[in-house]
Amino acid sequence: MMTRKQDRRYARLSLLGLSFTLAGAAGAAEMNPDVSVTLDGYYKQNETALSHRDEGFGLGHTELSLSSPIDDMFSGRLTAVFEDHDGENEVLIEEAYLQTNGLPAGLSVRAGRLLSQVGYLNSRHMHEDDFVERPAVYRAMLGSHYYDDGVRLNALLPVPFFWQVGVEAFSGDQLTEGEDDVGAYTVNTRLGGDLSESQNWQFGLSYLGNRHAGDAHAEEEHEHEEEGHDHSHATTYTGENLYIADAVWKWAPNGNNRAGQVTLSGEYFYQDDLGPHANSGDSNDGWYVSAVYQFAPQWSAGARYGEADLLEAHGDHFHSQTLEESEVMLAWSRSHFSTVRLQYTHQSADGFEHADNTVTVQYVMSFGAHGSHGY
Amino acid sequence: MVPMAIKPRLPGYALGLILCLLALPAQAGLRVFACEPEWAALARALVPEADITTATSYLQDPHYIEARPSLIAAMSRADIALCTGASLEGGWLPTLLQRAANPVIQPGREGLFLAAEQVELHSAHDHVDRSMGDVHPEGNPHVHLAPDRVPVIMAALVQRLQALQPASAAAIQTRYVRWRVRWNNLRSQWQAAASQLEGRSVVVQHASFAYLLRWLGIAMPLDLEPKPGLPPSAGHLNTLLGSPELERVSAILIASHQGNRGAQWLSEQSGKPVLTLPGTVTGEPGTDTLGDLISRIVSALLETAGDQSGG
Repeated sequence: MMTRKQDRRYARLSLLGLSFTLAGAAGAAEMNPDVSVTLDGYYKQNETALSHRDEGFGLGHTELSLSSPIDDMFSGRLTAVFEDHDGENEVLIEEAYLQTNGLPAGLSVRAGRLLSQVGYLNSRHMHEDDFVERPAVYRAMLGSHYYDDGVRLNALLPVPFFWQVGVEAFSGDQLTEGEDDVGAYTVNTRLGGDLSESQNWQFGLSYLGNRHAGDAHAEEEHEHEEEGHDHSHATTYTGENLYIADAVWKWAPNGNNRAGQVTLSGEYFYQDDLGPHANSGDSNDGWYVSAVYQFAPQWSAGARYGEADLLEAHGDHFHSQTLEESEVMLAWSRSHFSTVRLQYTHQSADGFEHADNTVTVQYVMSFGAHGSHGY
Repeated sequence: MVPMAIKPRLPGYALGLILCLLALPAQAGLRVFACEPEWAALARALVPEADITTATSYLQDPHYIEARPSLIAAMSRADIALCTGASLEGGWLPTLLQRAANPVIQPGREGLFLAAEQVELHSAHDHVDRSMGDVHPEGNPHVHLAPDRVPVIMAALVQRLQALQPASAAAIQTRYVRWRVRWNNLRSQWQAAASQLEGRSVVVQHASFAYLLRWLGIAMPLDLEPKPGLPPSAGHLNTLLGSPELERVSAILIASHQGNRGAQWLSEQSGKPVLTLPGTVTGEPGTDTLGDLISRIVSALLETAGDQSGG
């Protein structure tokens, strides 16, 4: 039989073990923030419509990210993005936020510069994407990824399944320059769960209100953005209201993502109240569906189809445009930290100058700390 | 101006539904979130009445789980989370902690219990870079099959659960003593087996069984992974086939969640048997506690060794 005395001895031993590791963790190296660098480079055969990547050799979304707990209440992250357009170098601050760690009642707050959580892809880092560029609807209506200065409040509802609601308030200047202090705001909800051990899903609805969209002053600048000078990724197509519905379904054998995974995802975008010169029925809309199959630990293949029906502002009138995009890709990841991707894009367009088909070869490599990924 | 029409509105029935759902979880007792089944098994031995959610199964590689919605929901409701730590869950636990936003389950707080922090780890590295593969600088995190470390982890878990549920402290202590007696008995059986197994060697895939094999005195001269975390490659398998060490190994040991193509190929080429065993506890009797699982692994190793000496 085990005696009390022995029990106490084991308890003491474990306490010693704990204090040992705590002392070890206080070492200087542990106080440094996690630094991670993502290298993204590509070769693109032809120029394509609504693209943020020029033809030829180029650097894509090269990122430097620092993150760390600040104290027991706050964490922080700073992400700088290095981009190159026609030989012009730019450093953009994409994220600079504080995040609360566990407020009461399932609440969490993020404040500073952050990626908006509208849609499925927008809050993800670009290097997590399965294709070289975001779908056409993202490029047209969110500038690939919409980030801005502001604040987010999320709440997890205390129900037996996943149900999150969130609101964000932003300056709005990254969408459209304007007068209002709160130029943009979002409302978002997500539901999700498991269908079985091997299948899970998520469904989301988002609204993005752009209060600057009606400011007619912006129209002069907008005329030229299509020419490829749109460095800061301000969106080309704006409207007061943007509604997004997104759905994701994933499957892995026995839930073991390492062995293989199928990811089906799709989103629908609808934008209206396009500005003072628009008719009441004018709208932009579009959608995409994507299927990615990771068929071996190091290999994945995918296909994506998307459409966008857009109205491009030209002073006091609009030009109607459509873009259909079909893409297939094959990616090889030596390790979790390196990916080389081959992609073929077929564009079929109406009203775009540079629509074309292209082959793109891309690498995405990470070094340093590698942050954990979302769903 | 914000148009009125787009303000979110909740109809009355939706509000009623939310209120009903809010009332539900209040009745439940202690809620435990376990990142891996081994910690769920330890918790079950101490607080069998608790509502335990296990994030992964023995068929899943715990390095590559996603912070999916159901896990966020489960962690947000839990009173305590039991995980391995030492970066094993580095790809998903930080996101889960942040998204679940549970005020008690956060790094450094009482509600997050990390098993690997309770014990000293093998193969800790002062210098790590990724050219070495996916090496954890803290050391090998797969501590749940270490016969002398699990009791230390269990003792720490007892203290943590007692602090969380002072009213059940005595009951937890009683169950712990019972668990400990059984563990000691099993441990002496494993020790007897170790005397027969000592000096043998096996081919492994990743360091999943390393603590137990080392304790049993079984050498691991060859690893199917060219680098930690990389799947077996044709070139690496050929190197293994040419290795003089391969002659002496008694088996190729892999875990149920690992792809078996490399192991099968090497087995066909070398004639060495493949042993596929659960890397952690399963829901099946015979491998549903850590003690039983280790006994199962030990007896499988003994059988293989027996076949070899008999043939």
